[in-house]
Amino acid sequence: MTFKATQIHGLIAATLIGSGALVFSGNALANDSSELEALRALVQELDQKIRVLDRKGEIAEAAAKDEKKKQPVIKANSGGFTIGSADGAHVFKLRGQLQFDNRSFFGDNDPDLKNDNVLRRIRPRFQGTLYNIFDFDINTDFAPDTTTVQDAYINARFLPEFQVQAGKFKSPFSLERLQSGNWIRFAERSYVADSISPNRDVGIQIHGNLLEKKLSYAAGVFNGIDDGRSGKQSGDANTDKEFAVRLFAEPFKGEDSVLAGLGFGIAGTWADQKDDAVADRYRTPGLQTFFEYHADTKSNGNKIRWSPQAYYYYGPFGLIAEYARSSTDVKRGINTATLDNDAWQIAGSWVLTGEDNNFAGITPKNNFDLKKGGWGAWEIAARYHELEVDKDAFDGGFAATANTTTNFGRNATEKAQSWSLGVNWYLNKNVKIATTYDHTSFDSAYANIKDREDEKALFTRFQVAY
Amino acid sequence: MKLSLSRLLLAGAFALAVPLSASAADVTLLNVSYDPTRELYTEFNKAFAAHWKSKTGDNVIIKQSHGGAGKQARAVIDGLQADVVTLALAYDIDAIHEKAKLIPKDWQTRLPNNSAPYTSTIVLLVRKGNPKQIKDWDDLAKPGVAVITPNPKTSGGARWNYLAAWGYELKRNGGDQEKAKDFVKKIFANVPVLDSGARGSTTTFVERGIGDVFISWENEAFLALKELGPDKFEIVVPSVSILAEPPVTLVDKVADKRKTRAVAQAYLEYLYSEEGQDLAGKHYYRPTNPKYVEKYAKQFPTVNLFKIDDVFGGWQKAQKEHFSDGGTFDQIYTNK
Repeated sequence: MTFKATQIHGLIAATLIGSGALVFSGNALANDSSELEALRALVQELDQKIRVLDRKGEIAEAAAKDEKKKQPVIKANSGGFTIGSADGAHVFKLRGQLQFDNRSFFGDNDPDLKNDNVLRRIRPRFQGTLYNIFDFDINTDFAPDTTTVQDAYINARFLPEFQVQAGKFKSPFSLERLQSGNWIRFAERSYVADSISPNRDVGIQIHGNLLEKKLSYAAGVFNGIDDGRSGKQSGDANTDKEFAVRLFAEPFKGEDSVLAGLGFGIAGTWADQKDDAVADRYRTPGLQTFFEYHADTKSNGNKIRWSPQAYYYYGPFGLIAEYARSSTDVKRGINTATLDNDAWQIAGSWVLTGEDNNFAGITPKNNFDLKKGGWGAWEIAARYHELEVDKDAFDGGFAATANTTTNFGRNATEKAQSWSLGVNWYLNKNVKIATTYDHTSFDSAYANIKDREDEKALFTRFQVAY
Repeated sequence: MKLSLSRLLLAGAFALAVPLSASAADVTLLNVSYDPTRELYTEFNKAFAAHWKSKTGDNVIIKQSHGGAGKQARAVIDGLQADVVTLALAYDIDAIHEKAKLIPKDWQTRLPNNSAPYTSTIVLLVRKGNPKQIKDWDDLAKPGVAVITPNPKTSGGARWNYLAAWGYELKRNGGDQEKAKDFVKKIFANVPVLDSGARGSTTTFVERGIGDVFISWENEAFLALKELGPDKFEIVVPSVSILAEPPVTLVDKVADKRKTRAVAQAYLEYLYSEEGQDLAGKHYYRPTNPKYVEKYAKQFPTVNLFKIDDVFGGWQKAQKEHFSDGGTFDQIYTNK
């Protein structure tokens, strides 16, 4: 029941005319022109008052809009909770990741591998940006018995081409390691990422994107860590620093080409370390450690890793492949050697429901919703990967003492080969149910120790990430 | 060996980054200005961009921001990245020095004419036929006259308006401040709507049809006549008015951070050039170059002008006494 100004002004005009008519008819009786003037003045006064009220409303509305522009912007959506300053220069995000796993092992392992329910990752994450330049990320994992700071770093984005990142974060090496744990296609990463490659380390790197993001680079100096390990946030566990470099190209990125989703690169690390314990740890897709060095095995010079790597995504199809070699100069007593351990993987996936496959995840076309009939996105995946330990690790006595009773030959395995099948159900962008079956066979390094028994592991994961 | 490798990595990164950052050909400037200068700077920016291109070969893109001068100064103090400010009065630019230290204290000495490339004054705009017979400032204080002026708390132009009226009354009554205060109080009692800037008040008076008289920047009054025709409005030149000197300055810290000092300085200096002065006159600002003072002499009415320094002791004193919290404006104006 509100009148617009024009309606009101029309009403006033009608009133004026009506008043004139009344006066005109009255004029026949009294011819009172002064009354007409008074009415006109009254109408003009009322018209001004209405115009003033209308204008004050406009001004108040404009002021409210201006004020709104100064208010912080609060968002709560599938990307987490975000509070940003009105100008967008400062942003604070609360994100999180929760993974519940059921782990079942099949076969005749002796002793039996323990079937389990575990919380694989519990990671509330606080991220943000200050002054449009300085990003920070604090990612803590409450899943281990001892709470672990997974990531804690500052990234200064001086230019897209030149950024400086310092703190604890993923070492720029393995392609699959750099993929978010939310979006790996199998319950656990391959031997390349999980065993041969460094995980997170404390250091500083320069990195950036060149040529319209078709080429990315990273080069950094880190405390240095053993294969398959993460660095401690306080204190360096070895004597010298480790250098890491990675180049990755996507030459057809953004183009209308079947090769638009092709990316390939190479990464390497180098360190010169002496007399430190070599704590490399290799484990199966079922997260059972099958190789470690003897406690008396020490570093004795160079530790060099290198890894060619690639992925390819086209429509619902995705492929990732990488190789990594870790060469370590070691000594035990008077024995010295350079041990070359390597691993490779190739994994493909297909989104059955037709969504685009992507390194950074899959967004269902229709979210799971029984009422609306949406079933999310479904994906199948297959992988082959293997890891081979240098024979000299066993012949030279550098491997830990073989245990012939636990899992049939821990530290006696020279080669592990695994194939994996996965089914992933993305209920929406944030919720995933994933099942992976891994079958691993082992080759013993010793003629007198039989092969470790095959591992048959079925891991099922319920994940929420935002 | 280890040290040399780390140096090599860093040098490589810099070598990659530096040519890319230096390859940017376009320069962008932000001119934060007051409300009625939109049309002037729209045309001036094009002229300067062409001048700069011919002189250096570089492209310069000038972005404009307009609003009440007080609000604009506050925005710069709060972090708006202005390379230059072209505001309505010196006090607002002083505040950028005092509150944010973005410019030196002596900023006003860096360009000719106290850094005011053009001047203006305050006139009265009335409706055609001048139905309320407004001839001078004292007519604005009469009952039944609706006066349009923006808010002196947010608008530089409004502060000039306020002081012009105050100065008129001081001259009329022989310097009695209390009488002047009472006089301005009566004028503001006749103000039905306070906009935050001069352009908003123009909208109120010209487009919304509110009020009998609009206390206006001279250039804004001419613009209203030009845009809407002399059959709608008339300019009434009061017997006395104030000489308004809208100043300009480089915002040193922003310009240095954005590496725009040279082009920003040239931009301001170009306001004093023949083309800059000609454009000022064309947009009804009073040029300071004698050649263009003469060229546009017929355009501007002769007004008995007083200077703020002579009557109010400068902007700092005037601001403190009249427009700071608890000042005379707060004392006389009751929000309606």
